[in-house]
Amino acid sequence: MARTESKPDSHHAYRVISRDEILARLHDPALLLVNVMPKETFEAGHIPRSINLPVAEIEERARQVLPDVTQEIAVYCAGST
Amino acid sequence: MGYRNLRYYIGGMADWIENGGPVEKVEPAAAPPRSGQNIQSPISHTSWTGFLDLLAGWSLERLVGFWLGMIVVFGVVYWVAGIGIGWGLQAGNVAVKPDLEGLGTAIYFSFVTALSIGYGDVIPLGALRILAVAEGVAGLLIFGCVISKLVSRRQEELTAEIHRTTFEDRLDRVRTNLHLVFSDFGAVQQLQVEQGSLPGQVLRRLESTVRVFRGELQTVHDLLYRSQAVPDEEALESLLANLVICLQSLVELSGSRPKNNGESAALDNGLRAISNLAREICGECVPRNYAPALKESMDQIHELAGKIG
Repeated sequence: MARTESKPDSHHAYRVISRDEILARLHDPALLLVNVMPKETFEAGHIPRSINLPVAEIEERARQVLPDVTQEIAVYCAGST
Repeated sequence: MGYRNLRYYIGGMADWIENGGPVEKVEPAAAPPRSGQNIQSPISHTSWTGFLDLLAGWSLERLVGFWLGMIVVFGVVYWVAGIGIGWGLQAGNVAVKPDLEGLGTAIYFSFVTALSIGYGDVIPLGALRILAVAEGVAGLLIFGCVISKLVSRRQEELTAEIHRTTFEDRLDRVRTNLHLVFSDFGAVQQLQVEQGSLPGQVLRRLESTVRVFRGELQTVHDLLYRSQAVPDEEALESLLANLVICLQSLVELSGSRPKNNGESAALDNGLRAISNLAREICGECVPRNYAPALKESMDQIHELAGKIG
């Protein structure tokens, strides 16, 4: 756990979003949910309204899928399983 | 990547499901037809090359089976035609008899025809001649498919072998380079301790070492993030261990170096790039799931990345 908590600190530019906030804003179009897991995992289950952008494709597809750099984006993956 | 409003949901799917969040699924589309089933590709209805495409999609065993089956069926047809309508086969001016021996002869004729050998010791009569020609054509086509399957199978093995070898070579190269980088860092550090600062020549050497290190770090990064081929864990473990010791000595080196004194912009850039790359390597952020020991090394890399520069 110490690891996952230290991550946002070392990425000082990144901010964290809580589960409750996502839940509360599930229907808020201003918040874009991005699932970075592989396509198969995404299809097996994801937070509603998420789009899928596998980590491996971020470099080539991010600009195309998420053209607006000011858009509020919540990124998530499998989490600690 | 320039996104200014990124936020991370650290719990991820695991936390989401655990606490009963709604989950959306994508229903799998109708399963694609498996080859080897009785399903014809759509083109086979419209063009006759479609039939060949269909054959090409079959496995070698299926093709050979189909080919043998076709020959036997044709043989039986020749034999039955001899009994039923009198248009049978003739061996040396004598009609082939409708008995078991006759069946053997009919199948033998069928093989000779399908392989387009055509000894001529058994000949078809009447309309059977059309059938025999048709069998010859079909037999050749299918036999051709069998041969091409055999050849391409061998070719695929070779290609896979080549891919594997180049991949292993590449890993070897990375490992060797990382080792060189490590000993170079050590040498530079020793010089620094002895002399207090780095003379221009040594600085240049450090720059080039940092450049090599950056390249190899990028290779490992790509390997973890987008490689189709996955190296075995042992190879990956030694790679990661090498990375860790290199990063450690780089951290020591940059720690004892006066910061941003502008002596080398190239060096500072290189260090920054290394730090950014290494930061993206950690047990939880790479797309695949690795053994705990590997994850630990990755986390170590991630941690060391923060200390560079």
